[in-house]
Amino acid sequence: MLMHVIDMGHDVYKANDKVAEKNKKKLDKYQVFSVNVMGAIGSGKTTLIEEVIRQLKDKYKIAVIAGDVIAEMDSSRFRKLDVPTIPVNTGKECHLDAKLVEKALDEIDLNNTDLLLIENVGNLICPVDFKLGEHLRVVIVSVTEGDDIILKHPMIFKTSNLAVINKVDIAHAVDVDAEKMRDDILSLNPNVPVILTSKHDWESLETWISFIELGVKKSQNR
Amino acid sequence: MHELSIACEIFEQVMATAKEHGATEVKHVTLQMGRLSHTNPEQLSFCFKVLSEESIAENADFIVEMIPPSLECECGYTGTVDEEKIRENCEFKSELLAYAAVMECPICGKPAQITGGRELIIKSIEIETEDQN
Repeated sequence: MLMHVIDMGHDVYKANDKVAEKNKKKLDKYQVFSVNVMGAIGSGKTTLIEEVIRQLKDKYKIAVIAGDVIAEMDSSRFRKLDVPTIPVNTGKECHLDAKLVEKALDEIDLNNTDLLLIENVGNLICPVDFKLGEHLRVVIVSVTEGDDIILKHPMIFKTSNLAVINKVDIAHAVDVDAEKMRDDILSLNPNVPVILTSKHDWESLETWISFIELGVKKSQNR
Repeated sequence: MHELSIACEIFEQVMATAKEHGATEVKHVTLQMGRLSHTNPEQLSFCFKVLSEESIAENADFIVEMIPPSLECECGYTGTVDEEKIRENCEFKSELLAYAAVMECPICGKPAQITGGRELIIKSIEIETEDQN
């Protein structure tokens, strides 16, 4: 019997990052602005994406990738808004990864897409480690999750380019201070833009939507 | 819970490398895990054990070496986080939070960029092969 030590140096996450880079290059080639929307179950990801679609679909060509353990439910909500939607069932998995997005991109007419909205699986942990090739990483958190939720999940807030605190209209009812949530986010990531939203407050939705629109415009001018 | 899919990837890579080198048994699998990755070493080890049942890696020791986060600051500093200082300053028990909350440059005190600490590397495997004689 002979014993050998074999050096491997295979980084599991880097393997995903490489595919993500490939996805991003592809999206850049077609000047598609892509958004990875992350957040817990019930934080309002689907609703806030629907608002973006409603307001921007006459100006830009939008496509959606809807990731979920069973993706059909959310997909049908997006299809009702007449945008091409690819459901991605993750089965037992708690996040989308770059390979799943790579496959979904094959089903999207990128020549006819300006904005790609990717709804990730609902949780604040697993999506963090898996880049998809997105241009903007958004984390949506709702006041109903409690105002200690942010410090319990630091990495998602540290690695996002935009944070949205949603359902602020019911903060009082659930005994939560939305401003504390904003402060916690900024303590983890001092430069991240933070938006407070409620689906009943049009002005707040407008801020969210214009942030996305700004990204689309920048992509088109590249 | 993404330990299972990661363990699958590790198992496949380990088995491919072991076969390539004519292994009859895998004795050790050594991983390097960044402290900021959202992977639980015990769960990962358990998943690997389940996957490797009835394979040549069935009895392999699964070793996980933890890597501290590394930082890069605009002042020019590059290095790892001062773990001692974090332990002193942090009222929270969660190690992940401790790292995440205190990512300041130890030289100038400004918030620093995280450049490492999220990796999950299959560093090496130790295998047994048939004696060629």
